[in-house]
Amino acid sequence: MIENRPWLTAISHLSLLLGIAMVALPVWVALVASTHPTEAFGSGEIPLWFGDQAIQNWGAVLFAKAGNGIDAPVWSMMLNSLVMALGITIGKIAISILSAYAIVFFRFPFRGAAFWVIFITLMLPVEVRIVPTYEVVANLDMLNSYSGLVLPLIASATATFLFRQCFMTVPGELVEAARIDGAGPIRFFFDILMPLSRTNIAALFVIMFIYGWNQYLWPLIVTTDDAYYTLVMSIKRMLSVEQGDVEWNQVMVTTLLAMLPPVLVVVGMQKLFVKGLVDAEK
Amino acid sequence: MSDLVLENIGKTYANGYHAIPSIDLNIEQGEFIVLVGPSGCGKSTLLRMVAGLETITQGDLLIKGERVNDKEPAARDIAMVFQNYALYPHMSVYDNMAYGLKNRGVNKDEIDTKVNAVAVMLGLEELLSRKPKQLSGGQRQRVAMGRAMVRDPKVFLFDEPLSNLDAKLRVQMRVEIRELQRKLGTTTLYVTHDQVEAMTLADRLVVLNKGHAEQIGTPMELYDRPASTFVAQFIGSPSMNLIPTAVKSEYLQLGVDIRLPCPQLADQKLIWGIRPEHVEICAAEEADVMLSVKAVEALGAETLVHGSLQLGDGNTPNFVVRLAGHHTPKSGERLPLRVPKSAWHLFDAETQQRVEKSCN
Repeated sequence: MIENRPWLTAISHLSLLLGIAMVALPVWVALVASTHPTEAFGSGEIPLWFGDQAIQNWGAVLFAKAGNGIDAPVWSMMLNSLVMALGITIGKIAISILSAYAIVFFRFPFRGAAFWVIFITLMLPVEVRIVPTYEVVANLDMLNSYSGLVLPLIASATATFLFRQCFMTVPGELVEAARIDGAGPIRFFFDILMPLSRTNIAALFVIMFIYGWNQYLWPLIVTTDDAYYTLVMSIKRMLSVEQGDVEWNQVMVTTLLAMLPPVLVVVGMQKLFVKGLVDAEK
Repeated sequence: MSDLVLENIGKTYANGYHAIPSIDLNIEQGEFIVLVGPSGCGKSTLLRMVAGLETITQGDLLIKGERVNDKEPAARDIAMVFQNYALYPHMSVYDNMAYGLKNRGVNKDEIDTKVNAVAVMLGLEELLSRKPKQLSGGQRQRVAMGRAMVRDPKVFLFDEPLSNLDAKLRVQMRVEIRELQRKLGTTTLYVTHDQVEAMTLADRLVVLNKGHAEQIGTPMELYDRPASTFVAQFIGSPSMNLIPTAVKSEYLQLGVDIRLPCPQLADQKLIWGIRPEHVEICAAEEADVMLSVKAVEALGAETLVHGSLQLGDGNTPNFVVRLAGHHTPKSGERLPLRVPKSAWHLFDAETQQRVEKSCN
């Protein structure tokens, strides 16, 4: 649609600028706040320009202990978050691609039922099954461990469904050609199917990584040992101060650090992500 | 020993549908067999059964004397070219051709030699590093053939390989396929619904109708002596004129007062057929029948005249005449025609099978 109406252009630009301001302003405030000393926030005023404490604040947060009695530096929490996010992402992709492969390409009894059982687990996210899941994880002695953080979140109906749709567009003749070329199920999976769903895998990687990174409730429940705290949940902990002031400058540094990896993943995989969601490469 | 033998081969689907009741076929080493028929006649199913992509529910399939009914497609030593080419989209032309060999554990140097030899034969040397996406339809077709040839299989299977190409390319590829097959001497089974393709490619044709082999023979046998009305109409373009009629007291009763002598046949109901190209225009007094012209298709080298025969009694069956060169009869004009007896085909009205006795 090409229209040339000046007032329309003006309004659309205005609304875009407004939108950008709404999104960017808090980030700006966080960035500025991370460069001021703790006392700067006592007055109740929010500074809008950089202070002179940037290096001290960032250094303190990253390498010394995070504030408010948390017994671990932020870099180790970042590492925990990263392990959990990557574990969830890779696990989800691996499991769902395999289940979609089974559902689409193999004929076995109750194949349709299997698919629908997977599908209705969409109705059972962690929040709903949190008590029984906790029980299971506790009984398996997986509290305060990476496996406890990752495994309960690893199954994904959404990803299975996406891969199923993707596999169903693979032409039957291609499957048959591979059979005649002597490719068994495993060869077919790695040589033909995986390369063909490359962009879908990338798109899911982005979505699932952000999902895993942003997990709050589950890590809060299964970890009591500071060594396994993730970044997102510790921000909350840093805010709940009983006595004295909240160390806003340190909180802001942590927040910015927590925002960084998802942004990097999205920016880095943008092209593949859009391709994976939009076009089919077949 | 025959190269590829189909013994009483049949296919019944799990829902009880008889796709193919029973087919027998002996194919000699190096023979080019074309399976032809209208859509839904079971020709692709039969091919896929030979390939091992469909199970065989009855009979035996032998390749070089070995029963292969229960073997996986890859173990049958066949190669197949698909209608949509089915090239692996993420692999280069080279990898597409090499993939089958790689899976068979052939060593790299040998793969390289073989792929390059086939690429030279098909004129694909320049394209080896391209992806299928970057190729034209004809080139993709060549790659698909190359992928089949590189393995040097016992049998080639083609499933309507030319139907996605434009008319000009189709003719060119048709000639190429024929030449290659001759050169390689590989036994070939080829499925098509296009009768021109069938006639020009085949050593022998199998005309299929509803899962039955209506007739098996060389293209000329089928053209000259079609075994049934189905084959008669399927082979030849435009198809044979068929008119229901009867023999009475040694005369073929085409119409109320059109009687053609036919002394050797007993009284019976018949279908009389003649190919459009065997009908001749003649002087009015020599005419066997009169044609009322409805439409004329001038093709340059030949002219097709569509019309209806005037048989009296209000009986006016449609009739096509194919004439060499230019003719310009007008619509509504009456053309006197002669129908030479040597070109007659007679079929039983009940069974639709050929009646072998000629009227000469």
